[in-house]
Amino acid sequence: MFFNTREGLALALPAAFFALLLFILPVGILLSEAFQSDTGWTLQGYFDFFAKPLNRTVFLRTLKLGVLVAGTAAVIGYAAAFCIVNLSASARGRVFGLVVLPLMISPVARTYAWIVILGRTGIVNDTIVGLGLSDTPIRLLFTETAVFLGLLQLFMPLMIISLVSAMENIPRDVIPAARVLGANWLQVFFKVILPLTKEGLVVGGTLVFTGALTAYITPAILGGSKVLMLETLLYQRVNVSNDFVSASVIAMILIVMSFTANLLLKRIATARK
Amino acid sequence: MKTTISLAALSCVMATSALAQDKTLTISVYSFAQDAYKEALYDPFEEICGCDLVIETGNSVERMAKIEANAKNPVIDMAVISSHDALSLARKDLVAPLDISKLSNHAKLYPAAQDPIGGNMAVGYTFYASSIVYRTDLVEINSWADLLDEKLAGNVALPNITGTQGPLTLMMLAKAAGNDSTDYSSVISSIGESADDIVTFYSRSSELAQLMNQEEVIAAPVGRFAWSRFKSSPLPFAWAEPAEGQAGGMNVMVMTKGNGNEELAYQFMDYWLSTEVQTRVAEALIDSPANTEVMLSDDVADNLTYGAELINSLNILDPAEIINSREAWVEQWNTEVIR
Repeated sequence: MFFNTREGLALALPAAFFALLLFILPVGILLSEAFQSDTGWTLQGYFDFFAKPLNRTVFLRTLKLGVLVAGTAAVIGYAAAFCIVNLSASARGRVFGLVVLPLMISPVARTYAWIVILGRTGIVNDTIVGLGLSDTPIRLLFTETAVFLGLLQLFMPLMIISLVSAMENIPRDVIPAARVLGANWLQVFFKVILPLTKEGLVVGGTLVFTGALTAYITPAILGGSKVLMLETLLYQRVNVSNDFVSASVIAMILIVMSFTANLLLKRIATARK
Repeated sequence: MKTTISLAALSCVMATSALAQDKTLTISVYSFAQDAYKEALYDPFEEICGCDLVIETGNSVERMAKIEANAKNPVIDMAVISSHDALSLARKDLVAPLDISKLSNHAKLYPAAQDPIGGNMAVGYTFYASSIVYRTDLVEINSWADLLDEKLAGNVALPNITGTQGPLTLMMLAKAAGNDSTDYSSVISSIGESADDIVTFYSRSSELAQLMNQEEVIAAPVGRFAWSRFKSSPLPFAWAEPAEGQAGGMNVMVMTKGNGNEELAYQFMDYWLSTEVQTRVAEALIDSPANTEVMLSDDVADNLTYGAELINSLNILDPAEIINSREAWVEQWNTEVIR
């Protein structure tokens, strides 16, 4: 494409310079704080972080919710994506537009909608009390369930978009062929659809998992200080305690978790070959 | 010749005008009600001093971090913060003692506001009471202990320990339990035991107002400065007068050390403490006055922490106690309450 490597490098230089100066350098400086002490380089910040029971609980909760949200989004996403790719072209466009629509609405507005839905006087509690399943409204806000629902709704479109794009590349005949050869729907999914869409699953899984780990607004509003996640803990450390070392440790843990998730998903996808 | 004189006069006028423009005072304030402050305080002061005010806003931690980071060459000339944050800055040698002879309105202040952290390191400009807001149609609040009572289980929010209201609530819950000491470990433990029955631990009064207006919470401790959010609600909210009394706090002004702009800062502080400005700020329902000469109508006073009788009755937590114990409180809170 290029006449020589120099031209290619010259074109990439502005973007690389931008990323280096405004992203890699400041983030590097911030993260390096977690490895420094008065005497030199150390991992003490990490030992201190994990020594506290609250931090361990928050770490495990964040990991658990990240996995649950990504897993649930994958299950629902496959069903939705399968429906969408089998629609007529015009209907597919309309439904796809509906899937993308929430992404155009501010996460703050979407999260506040959950307060209305999950509140004591919200739709869910009205239904529960109306059906006689409980005499009094159930506490739904400020629970892990609320954070899970909020995160799932927030990131589900990313999984559906990734899976639709992967499914559109499946040759149209392979599923009928598998059925003709006697495969049931479960076998069709695990032997045909899943192997052919694993790239989409890796992309969607990484986006949803990373998004759930790093979301701030949803856990802050729906979980509050009773359901702390790593991101809300990070904010608390910076804005309340002015403790940048702990904040850097948390930021580093989040980055490592995101990269690990991506590597693991890629490995799982490759292993299925 | 005439032209030369005219030009000289013109340049003199321009130089004077440029000098006036060069007079700048940088203040660090809480970010709420800035439009109202502009009208009641900033704009009139700029007219009087012929100077420019540079206003820096943010939460206390951010603003204190900025003062600390620029200690050698201060960018902030004066700041308004809570009394315990002021003491924290004073202990780090970041603020200068005030020369009260330069504050003509100092003697008009309530005694508690005149030297709130000792050594004239700060001067109080507003008080706030702190009590319990509750739904009169659903519950009756007579004591701070009612907050942890079984009858209110699942309906109460408490302030987080990391905010200003958190330690005040600990103090009043301790008083209600007959504990007048400042060892709040047993109070934190009892909150921990009831943690599942607490709806949430809120950080901002606006967050609490929203929860109470959505009927998620029916009783919670809050500062009087937030009362207008509840008073205007269609739901029947009342301000409790518990048997143990109301808690209280104070926000203060401090002068950063070695800022080189002290004269202008004193002029601004004195103007803010004047009866005229304290009345205007109170009537705009921004801050309750610390100036004893401020006279308010009953309607306005009802929204604020106003009057010698009320202010003298407030249970104010010693700022030194907050600074000395906060870390231990947060540690125990994180272990037993947030878990």
